[in-house]
Amino acid sequence: MIRLENLCKSYQKASVLNGINWLIEDSSFVLITGRSGGGKTTLLSIVGGLTRPDEGRVLIDDIDIWRLPEPELAALRNRKIGFVFQFPSLIPALRVLDNVLLPIAFSGRSPNRADREFAGSLLALVGITDKENAYPSQLSGGQQRRVAIARALINRPSILLADEPTGDLDERTEAEIMNLFQDINRQGVMIVMVTHALDYAALGTTYLLKTNQLFPHKAELSPPGAGREESRHGE
Amino acid sequence: MRQILYLVRHNLLRKPFRTWLMIGGMVLACATLFLAVTLSKGIQDTLRTSRERLGADIVAVPAEARDAALSALISGDPTTFYMPASLEDRVRQVPGVGRTCAQVFLRSLDAACCVAPVALVGYDPERDFTIAPWVLQKTGEPQRDNQIIVGAKVISAVVGTPAKAIGQRLIFMGKPFTVATILEPTGLGTDYSVFLTLDTAYQLIRDSPLYPVAVKRDEISTILIKVEEGEDPEAVAGRIGNAVAEVSAFTASHLTRFFSQQLQNLVDALFLAGGLFSLLAVALAGSLFALSVRQRQREIGLLRAMGARRNVVFRLIVLEAVCIAGSGGLLGVLAGFGLAYFSQDAITEMIGNMYMWPGDQFLCATALLILAAALAAGILGGLYPAWRSSRLEPYEAIRRGE
Repeated sequence: MIRLENLCKSYQKASVLNGINWLIEDSSFVLITGRSGGGKTTLLSIVGGLTRPDEGRVLIDDIDIWRLPEPELAALRNRKIGFVFQFPSLIPALRVLDNVLLPIAFSGRSPNRADREFAGSLLALVGITDKENAYPSQLSGGQQRRVAIARALINRPSILLADEPTGDLDERTEAEIMNLFQDINRQGVMIVMVTHALDYAALGTTYLLKTNQLFPHKAELSPPGAGREESRHGE
Repeated sequence: MRQILYLVRHNLLRKPFRTWLMIGGMVLACATLFLAVTLSKGIQDTLRTSRERLGADIVAVPAEARDAALSALISGDPTTFYMPASLEDRVRQVPGVGRTCAQVFLRSLDAACCVAPVALVGYDPERDFTIAPWVLQKTGEPQRDNQIIVGAKVISAVVGTPAKAIGQRLIFMGKPFTVATILEPTGLGTDYSVFLTLDTAYQLIRDSPLYPVAVKRDEISTILIKVEEGEDPEAVAGRIGNAVAEVSAFTASHLTRFFSQQLQNLVDALFLAGGLFSLLAVALAGSLFALSVRQRQREIGLLRAMGARRNVVFRLIVLEAVCIAGSGGLLGVLAGFGLAYFSQDAITEMIGNMYMWPGDQFLCATALLILAAALAAGILGGLYPAWRSSRLEPYEAIRRGE
């Protein structure tokens, strides 16, 4: 479960997020949409422990992640959260299998045989079966995105944060990847996705980030977190 | 750690040209530094040894053969110059002169044994005070007429190693001699000289119909002089010049001064070039490394997003810098050693037969110091980019890399 309390963030005095309160239940599928530069990626980064909010708290399973010491926050990112970015995010120097196994190395141990088998099954899940030894430059954009999803899942995270994961892909690949996210969500992984692809809004609950606040997308009523109340998803 | 090393390796191999450019910068810096230190040490040793080796405070030679005498004493050129032996008695009468001993220089008629022509020097073992300090293995026996003492370069040319030299039979001007003992390397003409007793020297000249110069038994080439305690060698040399017009007397320091200025210029130029190259090369490698880290900000942000701690990123970057600096330092030291080793002949040619190759201990210490300096430069060069990158929040690093 993720709980955001009074989250605020500004860049050079320009407010991007202002007093956001939000509750995301385990195993839910949430989509965040909004205009470009509206703070969606910033919100996702704060939730994922990648950038510090100016004010407010982010609680993951009741742990205030921004009060954790750096090593513990890094460990939390490593174990609980998987990231899929909007840009090609594979390490060019590493082969596909090593890219997928990389987060294990940051958990303080070397990947073992079971890890390799699991990585293989993840690659099979995302539809990459015969490219384990290929370098990222030898893959198409869609294939790279699939490998990035496999990598995000290698430590069996309970949360998957995806920032426009299909932004630069063709429609067919986009559909395949969105279906893949749906499959992953069915296995109990919470997915929070920033997207412009509202064709897939039916996969979960969609929120609109507008004027520094979050609104349920269809209703566009008053901000769910206004008055320090929480928008509650998954009930 | 294995994964970090793996990443370091791949990061370095990813852009091989840039990596080799950085390593090349370090190689250039370390090789130049090694070369400069080694050569200047060799040259300084040569100068110091020249003064010490002479063993005498003043050398008196025939006035008309002053330049040839300098060349023979410094470089071991097998030239010949002679003066009456009676001049030694007159020199001994000059106030301030303590001990004297005479030497007679011969030219070997062939150089079959050696890479350079050999100077045969007749001396009086009982009165000499210049050769004995350089004898490597003292026998305790007086040198006999059929025995010779040989310089270090003659030994390496004839038998290879000093250990095998003693007892060897060598033939000079048709007469066989046994090597009684050998001398330590001096960096002077002594290294190319063979010492025999005065009696044997005169006998060789007399018995060889081919010897080009008729040398009488009462002729000598040099008079080596020790001044009395408390006397100034320069002043005594002046007095000798005034009292005995037939000789030219110069002090040991004058002998080395003849060469020291041009050698000093060479040493200065080496250090200047070494220092300049090192600074430029380290600056080049450092700039390229900082650029390489800046270009990988997004990747560093991604590693942090995957759970890499700050200290992992820090170690990753410092390790990369250390790998570049270490391999550059190692290759640089090897290249510097090779250059120094193979330029010995050129240096010898440039400054005369007096260049001394520094000892193994000095070379090892220099190599280790330069390697340590290279590693330290790598660590220092990597510290700031590593610290800067590791302090960035992952999202900030990713944004900066876009």
